[in-house]
Amino acid sequence: MSDATFALVATGAKILFVWVIALATILPNLVWAERRVAGMIQDRPGPNRVGPFGFFQIIADGTKFFMKESVTPLYVDKLLYNLAPWITLMPGLVTFAVIPFGATLPVTIGGVTREVPLVIADVNIGVLYIFAFTGLGIYGLVLAGWSSNNKYSLMGGLRASAQIISYELSMGFAAAGVFLAAGTLRLAGVVEWQQAHVWNVVPQFVGFLVFLIAAFAETNRLPFDLAEAEEELAGGFHAEYSSFKFGMFFMGEYANLIAASALMATLYFGGWSLPGVTFTGVWGALASVAVFFAKTIGFIFLFLWVRWTFPRFRYDQLMDLGWKFLLPLSFFHLIAVAAFVAAK
Amino acid sequence: MSLELVVFAIASGLAIVSALAMVVVKTPVRSVISLVVTFFALAVLSILLAAPFIAAIQVIVYAGAILVLFLFVVMLLNLTKEAEATDRRPIQKLLGLVSVVALGGLLLGVTLRAGAPPVPAAGGLIPAKDEIPILGRLLFSDYLLAFEALSVLLLLAAVGALVLSKRRFD
Repeated sequence: MSDATFALVATGAKILFVWVIALATILPNLVWAERRVAGMIQDRPGPNRVGPFGFFQIIADGTKFFMKESVTPLYVDKLLYNLAPWITLMPGLVTFAVIPFGATLPVTIGGVTREVPLVIADVNIGVLYIFAFTGLGIYGLVLAGWSSNNKYSLMGGLRASAQIISYELSMGFAAAGVFLAAGTLRLAGVVEWQQAHVWNVVPQFVGFLVFLIAAFAETNRLPFDLAEAEEELAGGFHAEYSSFKFGMFFMGEYANLIAASALMATLYFGGWSLPGVTFTGVWGALASVAVFFAKTIGFIFLFLWVRWTFPRFRYDQLMDLGWKFLLPLSFFHLIAVAAFVAAK
Repeated sequence: MSLELVVFAIASGLAIVSALAMVVVKTPVRSVISLVVTFFALAVLSILLAAPFIAAIQVIVYAGAILVLFLFVVMLLNLTKEAEATDRRPIQKLLGLVSVVALGGLLLGVTLRAGAPPVPAAGGLIPAKDEIPILGRLLFSDYLLAFEALSVLLLLAAVGALVLSKRRFD
């Protein structure tokens, strides 16, 4: 097997692993986990009828999405109305292409051993790629709100995009601290730096807090889910969507949540690395993948926990928090990190 | 036919079609979306030129931020149908046609005069070495004056917008 063929096969296998195995197992289980965690926190059982611990609830939920009638309201902009759910689903899915999910995996074929870095594309723009696609994801929400021809939907779409644009700035400045310290934008480089030195959450705790809060706003999760706000907007931008198209918004939100969790684990909690542990060989690589997924699942649990614990913010509180508190804080944090890096 | 040529054909075709759609389409919201697609296709072309940083900035700044503001304005003014011009001035169409022909001729001339393209550096589509430190060093040394002048210009524009919007409400 030549090097080129091997690279092609390895990339294909990595794509298959990340999207088909990892995402297609985490995503449905997340829907189940959310409802069970909600039950646990609210001191009630949650869905526990379908399968052991209600584990197959997602099959029932999924079937419901498929079987429901898909209603398209009159006077919608058909093209944009149908396009919007796809745009929303995209950024959460493409993010995983640049996140390193394990140490290098040695593969021996025909007596030749090759090292496979466990990241689909180690691009040198790293997190900028993720921000670029998050920025495009806004269009899904705005267009869904506008094309539905419903005032509540439009309000939801406007709120969602204003919120994401506002918090994207703080998020970017917080993340810039990590890249200043590591001296590279490559996410694999950031993980290597953390393995050699210390997890970024320790020296950059302020940056981590800003990033965490901004991540809640970016994924439209409570306490920042003003774009949906059932009580005010009857569901917001996806009020007019039903059946499978609503299911795509639903999946898009969870895909974004997984992506944000994976990104936080990578930027601030060492990604696949553990302090004092070197992962070598096939079993080491597999263990590092397990470490990465454990950290990601930890953050996913945090998202669920917060959702069922905090009430929703008011819109002016949300904007004040973003522009008057988080943004200046991230500025000062970045200046402090830059001064520290320059002094070293 | 190499893979790069296929990607180039798709991306440039998409850029041309969506740019045309931006001008031709009657619904302003769809025009804005066409422009987003154009910028995205141009970003793909930047990646083909081994400039992924430019591509990312192009998408983040233009497609992700500026055009969202365009979309806001179009949506909030509720421009569902393009306002038909009441007084048709044929001179505008004529002027437009003349500019298109002039610009097209200029571009064609430059393209035809240009020699063979430089051989791309080894290392495939995305250079392995970080290009951002090089870019940063250039911005803060050779192009420092232009960089600072642009920063001041942006700051002035932001302050100006704030002053104008304040005056109306006081």
